[in-house]
Amino acid sequence: MTSTEITPLCEAPIQPGDVLLSIENLHACVEENEILRGVSLQIRAGEIHALMGRNGSGKSTLSKVIAGHPAYTVTAGSIHYRGQDLLALSPEDRARSGVFLGFQYPVEIPGVSNLEFLRVSCNARRQHRGQEELDTFAFEDHVRDTMAIVQMDPAFLERSVNEGFSGGEKKRNEVLQMALLKPLVAILDETDSGLDIDALRIVANGVKKLALPTTATLLITHYQRLLDAITPDFVHVMAEGRILRTGDKDLAMALEQRGYDWIDGVDGADTPQP
Amino acid sequence: MSNATQSRSWLETLLQVLAQRPGQPVGQWAAQWAGARDGCWPTRRSEAWRFTDLRCLTQLDPARLHTQTATPPWPDALRQGPSRQVALQLDGRGHWLSPQGEPPSWPHGLMPLPTEDVTPGQVAHTVMPSGTLPLGAQLNGVTPGPSLCLQVSGADPVHLALAIQVEQDQAWLAPRVLLVLQPGARLCLTWHVAATAQAAVLPLVEVRLGTGAQLEEAVVAWGCPGATLLGSSFVHQSPRSVYRRTNVTWGWGLSRDEPFVHQSQGQAETHLYGLAVARDRSLLDTHSTVYFDGPAGQLRQRHQALADGRGHSVFNGRVVVPRVAQQTDASQLSRNLLLSTRARIDTKPQLEIVADDVQCTHGATVSCLQDDELFYLQSRGIGREQASRLLQRGFCEDVLQRLPGTALPWPSLQRLLEIPVPDQP
Repeated sequence: MTSTEITPLCEAPIQPGDVLLSIENLHACVEENEILRGVSLQIRAGEIHALMGRNGSGKSTLSKVIAGHPAYTVTAGSIHYRGQDLLALSPEDRARSGVFLGFQYPVEIPGVSNLEFLRVSCNARRQHRGQEELDTFAFEDHVRDTMAIVQMDPAFLERSVNEGFSGGEKKRNEVLQMALLKPLVAILDETDSGLDIDALRIVANGVKKLALPTTATLLITHYQRLLDAITPDFVHVMAEGRILRTGDKDLAMALEQRGYDWIDGVDGADTPQP
Repeated sequence: MSNATQSRSWLETLLQVLAQRPGQPVGQWAAQWAGARDGCWPTRRSEAWRFTDLRCLTQLDPARLHTQTATPPWPDALRQGPSRQVALQLDGRGHWLSPQGEPPSWPHGLMPLPTEDVTPGQVAHTVMPSGTLPLGAQLNGVTPGPSLCLQVSGADPVHLALAIQVEQDQAWLAPRVLLVLQPGARLCLTWHVAATAQAAVLPLVEVRLGTGAQLEEAVVAWGCPGATLLGSSFVHQSPRSVYRRTNVTWGWGLSRDEPFVHQSQGQAETHLYGLAVARDRSLLDTHSTVYFDGPAGQLRQRHQALADGRGHSVFNGRVVVPRVAQQTDASQLSRNLLLSTRARIDTKPQLEIVADDVQCTHGATVSCLQDDELFYLQSRGIGREQASRLLQRGFCEDVLQRLPGTALPWPSLQRLLEIPVPDQP
């Protein structure tokens, strides 16, 4: 199959099944507290992965380490993105090269217009891909078209980034950014939290539309309801900074019914095989 | 010679030079101040001047002072505005002329006050009956020169744009403006003050707002490291009047902005917004006073300062709520962004409340750029330097977006937003 993600200058063509993200024995800490204790995970083009686990198990930390949050220090292990050492790149270079993190708590930035923020972001990514930057007018047309994916009111373009947005509006804004940046690997950290039923459906549909055979998605979630809308190819369960179990969508359904104690094997019955 | 002795000597010479200038009689407090000047010259021992060094001012040479101005770079939108808009620039004799250098033609609703009604300092003394006038007002008062005294009437808004451009070293400009707004009158006043030379600008603004009158005032003031701005404004508000002031200041070696607002019978609205951007060795000082002399008055005040390099921002926001001012509703917030280890912020909300049935809040924050905000922008492919610029612009925009449309066309505002990358704290 021919890649739909051909970018002539900076990104080589991607085939479905190519390894996009490869995490090996990753250890990371914040202020000397070790949070990640040997995470290994491989994500290929065309795959959707779900990452589940108790609060504090390290899911969000993993997403931030991949995106390059400066508060976290990688003490061992590696992350390779399309064969390149991701840890050697700055956060902005990771984003420009196609790694996207949808925030659990999108940051409010008073005074910075959402439209300008989106335009600068979009152009940074386009420049990396060897595409022409969009001027103000062309970008405004482009963003208004793209907003339809998440059924977002264009009035939000005139407001400051996420300021005064409801929880659902913030999450739609995250998916809008994802649609504009066209990432190759999208990590969505609890994108379903704080959404009502309709908003969840809109956001999930947006994510599904953006998942291509040449891109990969890692969904971090607590709930089966998101996975009802977006069927994952793999489900991973994290505990104490490691991936304890990997399975398919049935694993998520079993978790929903039986809770995390089942994974720990505390109740001693039907512990799934790795 | 000590600093105090040097300052006294400088002041003596200044007063002698100013006394020899031709022009209009000096302000009514001049003689009063001249007699007591030794006690009035501020020192660092005074709380109000603890953080404010006047060396930028006293480095001027009194013997070489002059009043030359330059032509402001008027934006087209202001040069030829609508019929109810007047644009005036200060000339070298202290007169206000149109951008074409002609005497102003006044639109309906705006007219010069009859001479017999004009007493410079009358509002200042009403607003501060017993207090010492600020230094800028006193120096203005002892500087000969004409006043611009206008009366505003009618509910249709009138726009008045005033511009002062200084490009020659040793300029000493002390413009005086008196505005009397009749009941129900509405005025939008914009100031653009720019100094690119070692000079001093000491504007004095007096405003009397009649019942239900509204004044929207915008001040855009930018200077260079050798320039001093000592601005004083005195606003007397009648019930149901509304006064909105947005002040944007940057670049001056020394700037001291001292607005005094007096709600004479309460029941009025006051909105004060300020943005001070202190870079290099700039010292930007705002000392505001709002006095509620009656019940049910409102104040919304927000002062934002950004300090970088060796810049220094000072804010003192005094709010006085005596027993007569029951049901006052006042809020004051000072937000500060500290971008360098050598920059400095001094901020002091000062609420003096005697009335017991009031709602008064205040707050002050000092922070550097937030890591989470920087990371959020970086995670979207925006480089750290550009992210830093965006955040600083965002901080400034919070106040800039309150400027009226007539203040926005000045190209200097774009210069303010060409924000350099800060030192890493």
